[in-house]
Amino acid sequence: MSVRETLENWVRQGRQVVHEADAKALLSEIGVPVPERDPADGKVVVKLCHDDFPHKSDHGLVRLGLTPADAPNAAAEMVARVPGGVPLIEAMEQNAQVEWIVGCKIDATFGPIVLAGPGGVLVELLDAGEIRLAPATTETALDMLGQGAGARLLDGMRGAPAADRAALADLISRISVFFAQNADLISEIEVNPVMVRADGRGLVAADALIVLHDAAQT
Amino acid sequence: MIDMTREPVPDSRPDMAGALATLFDPANVAVVGASRKKGKLGQAVLELLQRNNYGGRIIPVNPSGGEIEGLPVCTSLEEIDEPIDVVVLSTPVASALDALESCSKLGVKVVVGVTSGFSEAGAEGEANEERLRRILATAPFRLIGPNCEGVVRPRTSLQLTFSPMFDNLRDGPVAMISQSGALAGLMALRLGERGIGLNTIISSGNETDLTAADLMDHLGNEPETKVVLCYLEELRNGRKFAEAAQRLTQAGKKIVVVKGGRSSAGTRAVQSHTGAMAGDDRVVSAIFREVGVIRARDSVSAVDAVTALASGRKPAGNRVGIISVTGGLGVEMTDLAEVDGFEVPVLAPETQAALSEYVPYYGSVTNPVDLTGVVLANPSYVGRCLEAVVRDPGIDIAIAIITFVPDQTFVEALAEAYDKSDKPILIIWTGASRSNASGEAFVQRGVPVYDSPARASSGLSALRLGSGEVA
Repeated sequence: MSVRETLENWVRQGRQVVHEADAKALLSEIGVPVPERDPADGKVVVKLCHDDFPHKSDHGLVRLGLTPADAPNAAAEMVARVPGGVPLIEAMEQNAQVEWIVGCKIDATFGPIVLAGPGGVLVELLDAGEIRLAPATTETALDMLGQGAGARLLDGMRGAPAADRAALADLISRISVFFAQNADLISEIEVNPVMVRADGRGLVAADALIVLHDAAQT
Repeated sequence: MIDMTREPVPDSRPDMAGALATLFDPANVAVVGASRKKGKLGQAVLELLQRNNYGGRIIPVNPSGGEIEGLPVCTSLEEIDEPIDVVVLSTPVASALDALESCSKLGVKVVVGVTSGFSEAGAEGEANEERLRRILATAPFRLIGPNCEGVVRPRTSLQLTFSPMFDNLRDGPVAMISQSGALAGLMALRLGERGIGLNTIISSGNETDLTAADLMDHLGNEPETKVVLCYLEELRNGRKFAEAAQRLTQAGKKIVVVKGGRSSAGTRAVQSHTGAMAGDDRVVSAIFREVGVIRARDSVSAVDAVTALASGRKPAGNRVGIISVTGGLGVEMTDLAEVDGFEVPVLAPETQAALSEYVPYYGSVTNPVDLTGVVLANPSYVGRCLEAVVRDPGIDIAIAIITFVPDQTFVEALAEAYDKSDKPILIIWTGASRSNASGEAFVQRGVPVYDSPARASSGLSALRLGSGEVA
């Protein structure tokens, strides 16, 4: 099934907020790197994904730093609390230099737009999102990454290595192109945080959300 | 107030370029609602058309017939004995709608709808709006407005408006589109007073048919247009506007936009950080920046920005040379320039040497240059000092500050210095009304003249910015 057909099915099913597990599966189809699932070793993250609970940590549906052996029990406990949820056990990213937010939405005036800026806790602290029309080229995405406080973070503060700007620019462009092509079905995409590693080492989408148009209105 | 809650009529209409070409240079103009009574819109339209030397045939239309302003009146559009290029609608809405149906039957090319009472009139205008849209769906004409102040084209001495704010404008490099007629009037009058030429002014009103995006695309692409100035409350066809703006700015045109009002769409609940971070006004600023639009905070700063841009002189860099007849104003201008990211560097030794011939020991020849009051007694000095600063290879933009002027030579000397260079030059003249000199030499050349450093800094910022915001 194509990515487009998957989206159409979801809209038909009346889904509006698509939970993280499904969103990541779809985004990985378009080349967005996501964490390894059910790894055999290393630290893992356990989450319970459900369309009705997009803000998982508010509901105790995220546990960090578990061992692969402990993960199934943690997942079972969450499933018991939230029936219908999909457990997600993923490798926990340990090598991120910076966290970024990459989002798309339909602006009432200009149509599809893309936003990118320092992510994670810095979203609210800095509120330094750069905004462009979607689709955005990688050149435009690089320009977004060259502005303001975000640029200094990516350069590496206090001797930290520079982050992988090229991989991040590719991600921004890739998501914006996908969004613009499917903006008749999708109203918002948000990947936050994107865990950006040191230059040359890529990145991984630690969380993702897709919001679909209301089927009754399309 | 205009109303933009309704979408424009779908774009399967007669060719816009052809319609606008006719609109700007019509063989005839029929004024529906022409009147001999002072104070009526139809009277003002007729009077302004005549007073500004429109060369085509003016046809007043009024059911009572007779003669108005010396012109024979037709009792209806149907009575006109030749094809009609342009109709100005200035009657109340009910008869305006009847007239629009006549326009359809008669194959009129363009209608300028001054009439109000459509979507902007709330529930009462709803039936009128529906009827207007039904007419437009198959109409052979394109519509400006309705609920607008009209169209002014100084290039062809054409005034299709009831407002006297656009009288006697000079043709030039600026095209203006405004969703508010009153703001169009303010900006046109101020630009005209400074000698800045306007080739076209369109008050776009409700934009039921032609939108600001359509009009900017057309006017901006006219070869004579260097700067497009827009006042917008609601940007419809925002995507089209952004894409057209990007094409124009990439082709070297300047676009200055005042975006008033705030949309309420952004207040709905959002699911994500993206929604919260990308608030409506912030998106407007970001996209304007992306496509090369200069966003002015208000109509006054927009006029100040356009004043500087209209000369077409483009600075090679951000180094400003300032000469002033007083130290204080030079210091304030320097502060403002530096805050806006300009440099006010020390002048080259040769420049300083040249200035020293005119500036006494208690002045300053570094930058800002303090000419001191000595120049008041030697009016030609100020021109030579400006020339010296402009010639400095380390200076990209020059500013000359004068206060009260005792002698006409003073103004002429600065105007001549302006002619001798192609670098951007701004004049700050704080005491024009207390001077024994006319500013006509500045106005004739369209020299950017400001009354204070603060307003000059709006012009200065606009000169440097490819895009961004001017306060």
